[in-house]
Amino acid sequence: MSNPIALIVEDDYDLSNIFAEALQAAGFESEIIRTGDKAAARLASVTPDVVVLDLHLPGIAGTDILDRIRADSRLAEARVIVVTADACMAETLREEADLVLVKPISFSQLRDLSARLK
Amino acid sequence: MRVIRHLLDVPSTDPDGQRRARLLNILLLGVTVVTLSALLATAVVGMTGLEEWEQIAPLSRGIQAAFVGILTIFAINRFWSGWLASSLFLLLLTAVFAFTDTPQQVVDGRALFLFAIPIMMASVLLRPWASFVMATLVSLVIAVIALSIDFVPPAPTMLGFFTIALVAWLSARSLERALKDLRVLNQDLDRRVVARTRELAETLSKTQAILEGIADGVIVFDNDAQAILANPAIAGLLGWPTDEIVGCDVETLIGDNVSSNDRDVLIDLLRSGEMASPAGVKFEWGDKTLSVSAATVSLNTGEIIGIVAVFRDFTREAEIDRMKSSFMSTASHELRTPLNAILGYTDMLQEGVCGPISERQRGTLERIAVNTDRLLGLVSNLLDQAQIEAGMLMLNVAPFSLADLIGDVVSMVDVLARAKGLDLTSHIADDVPTTLFGDRQRLHQILINLVGNAVKFTEEGSVSIRAYRADAERWALKVADTGCGISLEAQEYVFDPFRRADESLTREHTGTGLGLSIVKQLVDLMEGEITLESEVGRGSTFTVVLPMVPPAWSKLRAASP
Repeated sequence: MSNPIALIVEDDYDLSNIFAEALQAAGFESEIIRTGDKAAARLASVTPDVVVLDLHLPGIAGTDILDRIRADSRLAEARVIVVTADACMAETLREEADLVLVKPISFSQLRDLSARLK
Repeated sequence: MRVIRHLLDVPSTDPDGQRRARLLNILLLGVTVVTLSALLATAVVGMTGLEEWEQIAPLSRGIQAAFVGILTIFAINRFWSGWLASSLFLLLLTAVFAFTDTPQQVVDGRALFLFAIPIMMASVLLRPWASFVMATLVSLVIAVIALSIDFVPPAPTMLGFFTIALVAWLSARSLERALKDLRVLNQDLDRRVVARTRELAETLSKTQAILEGIADGVIVFDNDAQAILANPAIAGLLGWPTDEIVGCDVETLIGDNVSSNDRDVLIDLLRSGEMASPAGVKFEWGDKTLSVSAATVSLNTGEIIGIVAVFRDFTREAEIDRMKSSFMSTASHELRTPLNAILGYTDMLQEGVCGPISERQRGTLERIAVNTDRLLGLVSNLLDQAQIEAGMLMLNVAPFSLADLIGDVVSMVDVLARAKGLDLTSHIADDVPTTLFGDRQRLHQILINLVGNAVKFTEEGSVSIRAYRADAERWALKVADTGCGISLEAQEYVFDPFRRADESLTREHTGTGLGLSIVKQLVDLMEGEITLESEVGRGSTFTVVLPMVPPAWSKLRAASP
């Protein structure tokens, strides 16, 4: 069985690396996407098991991606981990996110949490 | 009407002369009436043949002559001299009386009293002392007539005439004195009124000038909350002409132009003139932000006659405030991001993702992490501090509903709580008033922070929000959770704006956003207290105690007379 796929949607270079490593350490195959448009395009062609989504993105807004994922039946099984620096936003988010984490996210925390989602 | 008035007009400008001349006119009118009646009577008698024409002919001639005399005197009075006219009139009267009856009756009989008439009239038609002159003249005439018929001149009667003259003189004199005094008084009053009016006009125009000149808008409301005065500056601020503002009452003025949050606070301020905080109330008006402060206007007696409200364009300050806030959040984000990256990589190394590491390497990495964390904390708190200070400008103390506030917070956190399977409850004790005073926005920040933290750090169990009365002057909020708790050492610095982390401790996971240091600062600002009880593994309880009456309010109340 191939490894489950994780899509990292995050525009910051370092953070995206760290997230990717964390998911990798949890046993996922990580792929990094740095813009909202590319993420939308990629989601059309791949079915990830986990999406780590940053809300603060250039191009299409992170919340739009979230809506798209939830609207797409093909992606119904995908777990979405929303990552945001805005604590207030995190607390007002609808139930569409499986998990909402407020930055800064620690490497180990992300690794452990995402391992649970496998 | 005008013709009559023109006819009755007198040439004299002296008020006494006018009065006398007018009096003469009245008397002439009376005499005319009498004469007319007599003429009518003679005509009737002549026509009906009651008496012989020869008998009444001299009478009728006499009457005609009298008419001519009256008209002449009237003309003289009207166009020439009142003096002359009056004198002629009196002389004529005397002459007439001298011939009304038989000489005997004139000097000794029933006609004698008639002479009193011109004596008395003289005092009012000419001068007060003219009565004596008249008395002398009358006495002379009577004496002459008496002597002509070999009568003894009636000396007692003549003395009587002089007595009458005396009385007439005294009355006329006191009358004229009184009139003169009145006139003087009137003139004095007039002068004073003129002077006072001028003073008033000057003061008014100065005040007006000041009001027109001030850059701040001023509206004065009376006790019924009607605008009675508005200066040009407020017209400019509100965008309405002054005469549309004056006459409006508070509610009409504010209308729908102000957001519902600000509306009640604003109306309350403008109706009562009592300031909840020295900074006044800020509100949006169209594309401007205005700030208003108000005070009652009272007289020396202490009676309150209205409220004066001063409006200032706060748009610039509000704009600066917003710019500061937005700069703060951007700077905050920008500064935190690289620090988070450092922490992330350090974590990765520690977890062995990049390969196995030695104990020493692990230790060193830990030091990097701790210090980075510390820096992160400092940066966060510095920026949060600045944010609080920036936000202080817009502090609005006002009445609010505690139930609504708690409801809002609960609905915001509810989703997350349910996702984690936590039991989120709230309760307000009965002895807490439904309406409290304070800055709702700030209280919201405090509550959302405490409750958000509680939910964040609790994996199972419950989070509860309780509001109760602490004592007569204070109310309290208690946020309790069954989460991971905070160690005794951490409890020491959990509120500190500049945390001095114990250097031997490992880095702890922290969330960002508004920290507990902000919460404490806000509570301090409100002159309240925040305390923490916590046990690792059992949970934490944060208690915030606040005064029922915000201190700024009570200070103002105490200060006002």
